[in-house]
Amino acid sequence: MNNQTQDTYRFQVNLSGMINILSNHLYSSPKVFLRELLQNGIDAITARQAYSQGGYEGRIHVEVSRSSTGATLLIEDNGIGLDESEIHEFLAMIGQSSKRSEDFLQTNTSFIGRFGIGLLSCFMVSDDIVMLTQSAKGGPALEWRGKPDGTYTIRRLEGIHAAGTKVFLRCKEGSELYFEEGNLQEWLFHYGALLPYPIQLVSNQTTRLINPPSPPWVKDPQLARKHRSEVLAFGRQVLGETFRDFIPLHTASGRTGGIAFILPQAVNLGAKRNHRVYLKHMLVSEAAGNILPDWAFFVKCLIWTDELQPTASREHFYENVQLEQVREELGNTIRQELMRMAEYDPDRLQSIISLHALSMKALAVEDSSFYSIIHEWLPFESSFGTRPLGELKQQSPLYFTATLDEYRQITHVASAQSMLVVNGGYIYDAELLSLLPLIDPDVQTERLLPEEVSLSFTDITPQERLDYYESVRLADSVLQKFRCQVQLRRFKPEEIPVLYTLSQESAQWRVMEAAKEVSTDALSSVLGSLGASIKDAAYATLYFNMNNPVIARAFHPAHIAMLPSIVEMLYCNALMMGHYPMNRQETALLNKGIIQFIDWGMTASHSTGGDE
Amino acid sequence: MNLTGMSYEELMEEAYDLPGGKAKLELLEQAVRVADAAGDLDQGFEARSEIVDTGSFHGYPMKALVAFSWQLGQYDKNPDRFDSFTLLWSYKWVLDRITSFADISRVQIENLLEDMKIRFAAEGYSSRSYHYYRAHIFAEFGELDNSQAEWDIVQTMDRDEMSDCPACEQNRLVEFLAKRGDDEGTLKAAEPILKGKMSCGEVPHVTITKVLFPLLRLGRQQEADKLQKKGFRLVKGNRDFLYHQGEHIGYLTLTDPIKALGVFEEYIASSLDHENPVDRMIFNAYSAKLFRQLAGESIRFQVKLPAGHPCEHQSGEVTLLAKHFQQAAFATAEKLDKRNGNDYYTALLQRL
Repeated sequence: MNNQTQDTYRFQVNLSGMINILSNHLYSSPKVFLRELLQNGIDAITARQAYSQGGYEGRIHVEVSRSSTGATLLIEDNGIGLDESEIHEFLAMIGQSSKRSEDFLQTNTSFIGRFGIGLLSCFMVSDDIVMLTQSAKGGPALEWRGKPDGTYTIRRLEGIHAAGTKVFLRCKEGSELYFEEGNLQEWLFHYGALLPYPIQLVSNQTTRLINPPSPPWVKDPQLARKHRSEVLAFGRQVLGETFRDFIPLHTASGRTGGIAFILPQAVNLGAKRNHRVYLKHMLVSEAAGNILPDWAFFVKCLIWTDELQPTASREHFYENVQLEQVREELGNTIRQELMRMAEYDPDRLQSIISLHALSMKALAVEDSSFYSIIHEWLPFESSFGTRPLGELKQQSPLYFTATLDEYRQITHVASAQSMLVVNGGYIYDAELLSLLPLIDPDVQTERLLPEEVSLSFTDITPQERLDYYESVRLADSVLQKFRCQVQLRRFKPEEIPVLYTLSQESAQWRVMEAAKEVSTDALSSVLGSLGASIKDAAYATLYFNMNNPVIARAFHPAHIAMLPSIVEMLYCNALMMGHYPMNRQETALLNKGIIQFIDWGMTASHSTGGDE
Repeated sequence: MNLTGMSYEELMEEAYDLPGGKAKLELLEQAVRVADAAGDLDQGFEARSEIVDTGSFHGYPMKALVAFSWQLGQYDKNPDRFDSFTLLWSYKWVLDRITSFADISRVQIENLLEDMKIRFAAEGYSSRSYHYYRAHIFAEFGELDNSQAEWDIVQTMDRDEMSDCPACEQNRLVEFLAKRGDDEGTLKAAEPILKGKMSCGEVPHVTITKVLFPLLRLGRQQEADKLQKKGFRLVKGNRDFLYHQGEHIGYLTLTDPIKALGVFEEYIASSLDHENPVDRMIFNAYSAKLFRQLAGESIRFQVKLPAGHPCEHQSGEVTLLAKHFQQAAFATAEKLDKRNGNDYYTALLQRL
């Protein structure tokens, strides 16, 4: 856009507009002015460290005096300080920035530029900012006074001042909260818990140290293993939760490290991931979700880094190649620790898996080497109850259903036959079960279709087959129009009179037919065409249990007149029990059947006088 | 988890917590059963809205279509009871994928388009969406000139609340130009998307594979390689993008076949119960091409196939696998061509 032959003009700074952007659109809360001032202090100290080359120790001093609207706050650092040209530079930077609205915070990473923006955020809580600064490089001390309308004055001060910067804020009406001692203490710790320099908070003659001396495991997260109780205590203090276990995090470059605290309770797959991330020792985000892989939802992390780029609000990170690499490396650290546990500390792994099986399964689906190492501990629901896969896989082939619906159809019957069937219907389970033979070649898994459970039923004898031939044929013809066939078998438990199984196509076809009945003409016709293509494969079976005394009687030739109604009613009942949608014809059948049975019941009771 | 014992509210709450996929759909379907059993129309409508959403964007367009059919029927039977805005949006999603089912005839599809046109007009929306969808559907039929004519109409009309977002529309244009085989035009149309000036939840995810082959043909492999990596990150792990995962296999077959095999193994399982025949066809066709390529290599490959795959026991014979996937792809292409009345898809597969 810049044309060389044109003069460049700058927009006038519209400070109130800027402040509006900052407070209403950019920062999540005005309290971030504290973070910004701390950041300014740290940047100044870092710059002075580089300048003075040793023999220098940075510190930050915060002092609050008086309370409510009369309160003032002083934040002081002994960093590099600013000279006059640098003050003009940051003011110019703000001017330049104002036309780019939010973008500038992301592009502008120079110390001076950020310094100005940080200072601006103070207008959210104060109408009056005074900064006294003495550059370590010499020159006179300076006083800068700024007003939110964009006017400011710069004054040179007499005398000799120690190098560093002091910022004075006066509480603006409505901002009393941000000048309260207790809040200040909490927030300073919140932002600066990991700062390697002491922060002091002074009020009413009491002086306290906000942050503990930087623990050794911040430099080298591996050392955390040797300081278990301290790390857990620190986790409780910073994250406000009590943890029992953690995994140290690090990347190969050493530029990102952290502690992944294992959540002491099970969490939902969709729960928000709120990791706390410190960038160059300062808290940037309490809600970073994208710094760990999706599967790692069983941990809450403290992470410190100096290699990621924060977004404009400095509260999240840009999704870029670097973030992806960090995420992958951190994920690897967690994965390796879990794999190490499998080998050396299986009890610890077991207790993690018992709470966070879903997280482990999510990872196992993505990574077969991980799956292979931890699979024995993963729990699965089966007709024998919830059991670890290591135990289930002893049975070969291992049968599983692909959907909850299929499992639901057969679970009672399968367990009564002592048949082991695993429920593959819950998220990740069917995928993991079908992958099992790839990680353990000795195991065979096989998807079980509902009708296959009948393979374990006992056939009726040839004599019975003969005796019931007519009855079965009749029953079959009754259900033919519903694409359902009738079979006689013996199976446990005998209390179950019938078992209704249907193929996936059949289930799909039923739903389609039901929708067709209520839909518009154009769509009904479409559903008809789609249905026709699956109808051939759509069949259902109603197994009648001859172990059940009532069923045995019903199929006896003596009752053949009642059989059609009995079959129809048991069919409708099976549909209702299975929550299958019933079409109009079936509903009509049910109504007719109930009346029929009432009639029969009354006739019978009449003929016996009501006391059979 | 005892599904049968759960109330409608519990099922929905559980479903909201799950990522889109089979497990989520099962919970929603159970919620539908519970709502229907109780005769609760509003709950039945709500749960089906979620099925339409999840089904459309996670590889179950048939389930979405069935749920939508029920919704539209109930909408007509109960005037003023349900919100029309989301329902009309769902109509668009259904039309996006309707041509993928060869069993649905051209007349039936035309009838739906006309029905959509009337409904949109009744709610005060312009016929731009109608022409936009005609353009889409003609393109899916392989009638590119007819599609072009509709595009010309679309471009003279103003967007409205029923229009896809600008990034999606631009992407449609890119897809159309790619179908025409216009490499330069495809790249030019994709430029604002690739430069990041236009984006949304699915763009540039679905755009990137459209420019890979044109770039390669124009001798710009370096750019293409870089884009392929980026694009694959975006479609990774989401079963909605089976079509594009197939195209990544296709591109990698030309540039890095071993990596292509890795992508195949990653998605073969989700392709098996994917409900969109066209997405499966493209995945199968590129997989066939990959295996033909691997058959020419001197090393022996052991392909990882999930339990239950028909070729489970031939996992070491790539020539056989090539044949299996080729047949599967052509079976779909032939059905589509028969419905469409041309040879667009068989010719497309032969050209791959």
